[in-house]
Amino acid sequence: MKLGVFVSDFNLTVDTLDRLKAEKLGIILVQNGVYHATTKVSGKASSLLDKTQNLYVLSDDVQIRGLKVEDVDKRVKVVNYSDIVDLMFNDYDKTAWL
Amino acid sequence: MGDVKVAMIVQKPQYKGETSRLAITHAISYQTVEILLEDGETVTPKLCFIGEGVLGLQKGQNAMELYGITSTESHMKNTLLVDLDVLVCKEDLDKYGIPEDAMPNADEMGADKTIQVVPFAEIQKAIEEANHVMFF
Repeated sequence: MKLGVFVSDFNLTVDTLDRLKAEKLGIILVQNGVYHATTKVSGKASSLLDKTQNLYVLSDDVQIRGLKVEDVDKRVKVVNYSDIVDLMFNDYDKTAWL
Repeated sequence: MGDVKVAMIVQKPQYKGETSRLAITHAISYQTVEILLEDGETVTPKLCFIGEGVLGLQKGQNAMELYGITSTESHMKNTLLVDLDVLVCKEDLDKYGIPEDAMPNADEMGADKTIQVVPFAEIQKAIEEANHVMFF
């Protein structure tokens, strides 16, 4: 299964994500999930960024919070709404929202 | 009744849910409440941000441009304009790597107050001194 997971919280969803198995896993950071891509806790990047190489963050949700696209971890691709629609239709069989 | 102190503690980040935003608007509404009180009665809120609540306070928010809603930054400026005490936990800012100068101010609007970045002990003191404590 190719699974795209929307992560919309900062600290609350990693345990659930650990249990999800997929041959291809994509993580799309939206809403407060964008902090995984921009914010280090005690100097350490979010462990969620180690779960897959397919990491995306929604640009609008970064900028609304006063964060900068330049602050996004280099492993994460910055995307817009249109890109997310393309991901959902072209890259993943199923999507989940955490 | 005298002075009723209220500590409003925000522990969730802004924007996804409404509760953290409501803490700010509720705190601002203390001025409206005063209209209904007798002489000598006051309500004094302190708005405190701890944990993930310190996220989403930074300057440069583009909420109106991107989503057509007022930003938390603009609400924070309004709290300062109405002379609210706003305390932000220094340890939590440090934990998330957010510099103190990223906190908004309302200097250009003529506010006398500024956001106070304080150790958690100060917020604990505000909680102990309050008649009512509300967590958001």
